[in-house]
Amino acid sequence: MAKGLDRRSFLKGAALTAAAIGTQIAQAAPAAAAASAEGETQEPRGKDKVIGRPGSDFMVDVIKATGIEYIASNPGSSFRSLHESIVNYGGNKKPEFLTCMHEESSVAMAHGYAKAAGKPMGMLAHGTVGLQHATMAVYNAWCDRVPIMMFAGNFLDADKRRPGVEWYHCVQDPAAIHRDFTKWDDQPVSLQHFAESVMRAYKIAMMPPMGPVLITADGNLAEESVHDEKRLKIPKLTMSIPSQGDSGAVAEAAKLLLAAEHPVILADRAARSQEGMTRLVELAEALNAPVCDIGGRMNFPTTHYLNRTDDKRALVQEADVVLMLEVADPWGQFNSISDPHHEYRRLAKPDVKIVHISVAESLTKSNYQDMQRFMPVDLAIFGDAQTTLPALTERVKSGMSSNQRVAISDRVKKLQTDYRRMKERARAAAAVGWDVTPVSTARMSSHLWNVVKNEEKWCMAVSGMQWNKNLWPAKEYYNFIGSSGGSGVGYGAPAAVGAALANRDKGIFTMTIQNDGDLMYGPGVLWTAAHHKIPILIVMHNNRAYHQEVMHLQKMAGLHNRSMDRAAIGTTIENPNIDFAKLAASLGLHSEGPISDPAKVEPAIQRAYAAVKRGEPALVDVVTQGR
Amino acid sequence: MKTETIRHRTAAFVMQAFFFSLFFIASSSAIAQEKEKAPAGSADNGYKAYMKYMCYTCHGTVGQGADRGTGPKLAPNPVSFATFTAQLRTPRQDMPPYRKEFVSDQELADLYAYLATIKPSPAAKDLPLPNF
Repeated sequence: MAKGLDRRSFLKGAALTAAAIGTQIAQAAPAAAAASAEGETQEPRGKDKVIGRPGSDFMVDVIKATGIEYIASNPGSSFRSLHESIVNYGGNKKPEFLTCMHEESSVAMAHGYAKAAGKPMGMLAHGTVGLQHATMAVYNAWCDRVPIMMFAGNFLDADKRRPGVEWYHCVQDPAAIHRDFTKWDDQPVSLQHFAESVMRAYKIAMMPPMGPVLITADGNLAEESVHDEKRLKIPKLTMSIPSQGDSGAVAEAAKLLLAAEHPVILADRAARSQEGMTRLVELAEALNAPVCDIGGRMNFPTTHYLNRTDDKRALVQEADVVLMLEVADPWGQFNSISDPHHEYRRLAKPDVKIVHISVAESLTKSNYQDMQRFMPVDLAIFGDAQTTLPALTERVKSGMSSNQRVAISDRVKKLQTDYRRMKERARAAAAVGWDVTPVSTARMSSHLWNVVKNEEKWCMAVSGMQWNKNLWPAKEYYNFIGSSGGSGVGYGAPAAVGAALANRDKGIFTMTIQNDGDLMYGPGVLWTAAHHKIPILIVMHNNRAYHQEVMHLQKMAGLHNRSMDRAAIGTTIENPNIDFAKLAASLGLHSEGPISDPAKVEPAIQRAYAAVKRGEPALVDVVTQGR
Repeated sequence: MKTETIRHRTAAFVMQAFFFSLFFIASSSAIAQEKEKAPAGSADNGYKAYMKYMCYTCHGTVGQGADRGTGPKLAPNPVSFATFTAQLRTPRQDMPPYRKEFVSDQELADLYAYLATIKPSPAAKDLPLPNF
């Protein structure tokens, strides 16, 4: 571009010329181009305009007031002023701008971060193309009931838009594309409106059931001067206290549980912190009731004799009373439908008494079917599970008769024996195929544990494998952060990096078992981890296929009376095999692999572990069995 | 690998159910198992067929089974050939059928021969498995 004429001025000048002379557009544009090529312009030079206090500076003040520490974003012109204010006016601290390579990565990073940090990350995107890229990850966060503060750039005033791309990147209602799976949104038209809406959004996002929220940061509002600064006020942010279930209903639940011979507790998104786990342990011990951790969050120590997650099916079959705590799919705990023949099966006794403590019904919309099948229960208590647990435990303890006390106490021995059997079964299953190539997933999990076991604080951020929960001693809330929520592929790598960022600041060592297909949705997040020096140990579960889909294809071939020998078409990730070590190295990570020899896995993980301890992200590509 | 948790959970359950039923059948037909002999098969060809039909997707390359019970363990010590054949031709639970027009009797014998050659793994107590 010629000296003294930047691209923006050129476009603006060309547009003004075209508007002025109507049909002479075709001639005017080449003329302007010729002039610019010579370093001259026919347009009068603009004033040396300086905006000393842009609206985006005030927006940064508002964001800082919420305590948001990071904003994940792929840069875009519709929020350029806010971006500039974050890095210059805000000093790029609290919030710090995280350079992401895809909006889906930005949101999934924020998703993992929120579950590890216990508070939301910011995310900044174009109001059109950026939010479109972000949608699947937002849906995951919605299904997982995770708070994310999303901000979208947009120029609502058409009179001020630059022609061309800026029109493509503007929208009447930016949040429309997300409204089915966000908790709240707003498009403020003034700075005061922005301040109040951001505070409202933060409160709404953090109130259980939590969820993503979206605020549009209008580009003109951001780029123009703050008018009447004295009038602007950033409201105080006071978080709402989550609600406890009705005390009468809680007493009734306690009675049912005390009268039960085979009570079972199913916990899904129940615990929100270590305190939540402690409360659940206290209730379970008071009742001597086995707990099955469905895994939406880390709910119960894997080392506790009452953790019987692997025996869930048998326990539910036997149960006379089941207490569910924030279970996302209640119907699926008691019933199933076979695949592919759609035959209904009841798993539980017909007269089992069911209590559900949940706030899920306060956040149900119509279009997307994340609410799962309707489940009739005997006692539905509207309340936050973690908040309600102390009252329930108190009722259990105070309402316990002497006979009940004896009966409950008598359960201990059998429960301890059953727990030991469950663990022995898991270890025996893990031993099968130990020396096989490609590497068995149980062996990979075991080697990883052997490397990290001396870490005082550790987090296995994302892993679809049950081995980690079956074999590893996890006692802390931060050990596992749950799953994606909506099962949208592409969550694993960015969510793990987001969790690692939160954990870096808390001194928690973070690792993840990364599926190959999942990583290929957005490998750019590895660069983000390297660029921002986010230490994370990534061990690839590289089974070179979408194995779940292989099974589906085989089922359909069987159903259609066709051969099963073509199930690899469209489901395998081979020919060529992806070299994840090279990919990671090119993005700035320590990396090794591919490793197919099981004997070489642990030494490679050990070397990668050393790199992570130096503060780097590292990846070990292990070629694995299918599952 | 796709992590479709909900579907996976369902699949895991039904495959577990299959495993238990298979185990039961195998135990209850122990006498029949003693009497019958599997037809001659080639373990090498059986391995090729095992890979061709992607049995390893659910059962692992040495029939070790899969995480979360997605596919039951097949070896070592496979069920009787009669039970094996019945499960492949007219499966219980969610496993797809491997019908005669697509998988010959000889291929079935080969597959069984492959499973029969698989050696036991070391005992859990002898391995560096996490223990708590």
